[in-house]
Amino acid sequence: MAAWVKGGAADADAAIDAAAALLAQARMPVIAGLCAELSAIRAAYGLAGAIGASLDPIAGPSLYAELGSLSRSGAMGTTPAEAIGRADALFVVGNAPWDRPIVASLAEGGPTRGRAAGAERTILSLGGPRNGATRHVAYPAEPGGLAIAIAHLRACAKGHLADETAYHDLARRLFAAQYGVVLYAAEEVGEHGVEMLQGLIKDLNETTRFFSLPVSDPFQGRALLQLSAWTTGQAPRVGFGRGLPEHDPWRFDGARQVASGEADAALWLASLPAPRPDWLSRLPSIAIVGEGSADATADAAEIVIAVGVPGASAGGAIWDERRGAIAYIPASGHAAERDAAAVIEAIRDRINAGTLAEC
Amino acid sequence: MLTRISGGRVVDPTADRDGVGDVWIEDGRVVAPSDRAPDRTIDATGCVVMAGGVEVHSHIAGGNVVLSRLLLPELYASEAAPEGHPFAHAGGSAAWIGANYARMGYTVAVEPAMPPANALATQLELADIPLLDRGGLAVMGNDDQLLDLLRKREGGNAVRDLVALTVATSRALGVKCINAGGASAFKDGVLKLSLDDEIPVYGLSTRKIMGALLDAVEEIGVPHPLHVHCNNLGLPGADDSFVATLEAAEGRRIHFAHSQFYAYAAADPENPMTGGFRSAALRLNEAMARHPNATYDVGQVAFGQTVTISLDILRQFGGRKGAKPKKWILNAGDAEGGGVVPFLYRPRGPTSSLQWAIGLELMLTSPDLERTILTTDHPNGGPFTEYPRIIHWLMDKEARDREIATLPKVVGERSTLPAIERELTLLDVAKLTRSGPAKLLGLDDRGHLRPGARADVALYRDDRDRTAMFSRARLVLKDGAVIVEDGEIVDWRSGRTLELSVESDKAMEKRTDAYLSDRFGAGLESFAVPDAAFPTPETFQDVACR
Repeated sequence: MAAWVKGGAADADAAIDAAAALLAQARMPVIAGLCAELSAIRAAYGLAGAIGASLDPIAGPSLYAELGSLSRSGAMGTTPAEAIGRADALFVVGNAPWDRPIVASLAEGGPTRGRAAGAERTILSLGGPRNGATRHVAYPAEPGGLAIAIAHLRACAKGHLADETAYHDLARRLFAAQYGVVLYAAEEVGEHGVEMLQGLIKDLNETTRFFSLPVSDPFQGRALLQLSAWTTGQAPRVGFGRGLPEHDPWRFDGARQVASGEADAALWLASLPAPRPDWLSRLPSIAIVGEGSADATADAAEIVIAVGVPGASAGGAIWDERRGAIAYIPASGHAAERDAAAVIEAIRDRINAGTLAEC
Repeated sequence: MLTRISGGRVVDPTADRDGVGDVWIEDGRVVAPSDRAPDRTIDATGCVVMAGGVEVHSHIAGGNVVLSRLLLPELYASEAAPEGHPFAHAGGSAAWIGANYARMGYTVAVEPAMPPANALATQLELADIPLLDRGGLAVMGNDDQLLDLLRKREGGNAVRDLVALTVATSRALGVKCINAGGASAFKDGVLKLSLDDEIPVYGLSTRKIMGALLDAVEEIGVPHPLHVHCNNLGLPGADDSFVATLEAAEGRRIHFAHSQFYAYAAADPENPMTGGFRSAALRLNEAMARHPNATYDVGQVAFGQTVTISLDILRQFGGRKGAKPKKWILNAGDAEGGGVVPFLYRPRGPTSSLQWAIGLELMLTSPDLERTILTTDHPNGGPFTEYPRIIHWLMDKEARDREIATLPKVVGERSTLPAIERELTLLDVAKLTRSGPAKLLGLDDRGHLRPGARADVALYRDDRDRTAMFSRARLVLKDGAVIVEDGEIVDWRSGRTLELSVESDKAMEKRTDAYLSDRFGAGLESFAVPDAAFPTPETFQDVACR
């Protein structure tokens, strides 16, 4: 297992000792990234609880665009497999979803289950590419952006606008669906856009069935969100500085904490690929990263420990986007000496043992 | 280590025991009285000694429980944890759930609604509930693979093999069906479903689906009978659905979930949906007396804010406009779907008062308390932390009357509760919360204090204030180790997840792998719950089939 301390190669135990010493001395440590298998995220929550750290996942911006709307008004959703099996109408909002494999999966066939089975699948878009490879009926977004466009569409769907814009036509097509699915990326649509979109979906369900399917962030946010909720009763970001988990997206924003000087140490956890933030170099830091990754280098942080990569050199429970669920994937090759959970737990054990005073 | 729990009032209905005596335990089990000197003596003078409580129906894990926390983060308050577990004071968390059950003397809790497609996440969450042994029931009855087998009339063996495979793959303790066919029908535009209504596309009915599952559970030898959530929950006239479903079981073992929500007779049969409801508790209990094959848990209502969580998407969609506060989540998931709808049982409100009365009425007029299980269907009727207060009302007519006096007249007009004189005894309470639920789950070594029982024991200070008595146990032992003292957790150990030991058929494995690969792009392995996913290899414990 590769490890480095202050730029020099180190053995794993020495790196773990150094990481424990660094965190034990910190007054306000931040644990960030959290792009990893669930066992590692669980261990990170345990460590944060033990040392009073805060947790800030890199998936935050995508999660918050969804969570703000969710806690204010709720949602109506479905799963990828239900969309593929049942949807006779796919409504793609924005540009971001078009890169996802599910668009191609939906475009290549029609519904096979439910009352719409055998029907042709209509693909509609709002504010997306006009000339994509997938055949679809495209409606432009408003100049004011997607959220405004969705609001306009919802007003047309509710009959609140008397004009005859293209959105009336789009609304009619949506109502004609027997099982419709809205595909969008929450971060692109924005919090208010998501809330308006969910309102539109609820309106559609007065007469038909229509559900949302937000695309997953690529950083394990959906798996982490579940663990966070059952561990702390709340979503991330969360801090343990006062001996209880406190959810506060502004206060526990790692970048803000570093910029303001509140944070005095950081642990970056990314056993799966995730872009390392610039601010990590501005304070004493530890990076627990996937072995063989671009960040598994001596200069990634003050202390760097390379660990098993879920699905490659370690097993792990991770988010499966195609299934829309958490699934376990075993190591496909030679197992790494330690996985991220083992390293984090070892750091916590060292801190708990209280043998680091002279470090 | 030989331990003697000495001088307490030992209450164990399975041994017809209610008197001052001793309980001996050694190596995590209750043993016969010994001539040897005990290594440890626990003075139980002035205490009531019971087996650990067993919960059969509480929504404590799974995707909808997670969503409820995100929808309604304000429901639970987090408090500073002075010591011990960092998450136990985080309101609504897994650790909070374990701690609050343990404080009340409970040692087992079962999540009754685990969708097989989400089994791994649910099991990971269950495993993070400390202190208790826990388990999950696999939900079937709306999944396309099963419905397609039934549509094609493939026969009982195919259904049996699919059910066994589902239980084995999801590592469940039993099987539940929730408004069988209802979620599928909802996705196809249906808004109301009764026992014999046709499920669109499949040409089936709830009766046919449930009947197939009842047979499969019997054939496999699942100790816990099929756990059934009927059609038409919470609607006036739901008592008809309950009784019809009971008759449809045709003598096969069946467990009814949260029966209080079905004990609603239409007050005006000519206009059932507009005339409100009256109690049908006596009707349900009369039917139960005629059907010894059946059990039910209650789903008692408690006043105050809560959030309803159910895989019955048809019902949750129907109830969405009654959400308070006005926000809700519905998920048309793989097979089951589900809904999360916040709800306020308005203190002193006429409807919620009548619901409150009906739950108590069911328990107080039950023909057999061992077939009657105390639940609040947490959090649907209210939080499980209300159990002590509910027990108080059941045991104390005077306290009950004081509460009734504060409620609207409808309680007396539409239920018989005010006229009921019965006060439950401690033996009765042990049936409702220990021996009955343990028998129901097929956990032979729990729910009693006879030699051979697991040493899950709760000691309570005998107090006329039963709320105080049952809120904070004097002492709780889990597998012989003290985990609670004076209502505080003293040993944050982890329990085990109970899974049914069941073989799956290789041909059905192959067939299901192909089905799942086609539908989800991932085969059976993707739905597995492997030991490697858990922090410790000893997470699961086998429970044998009958």
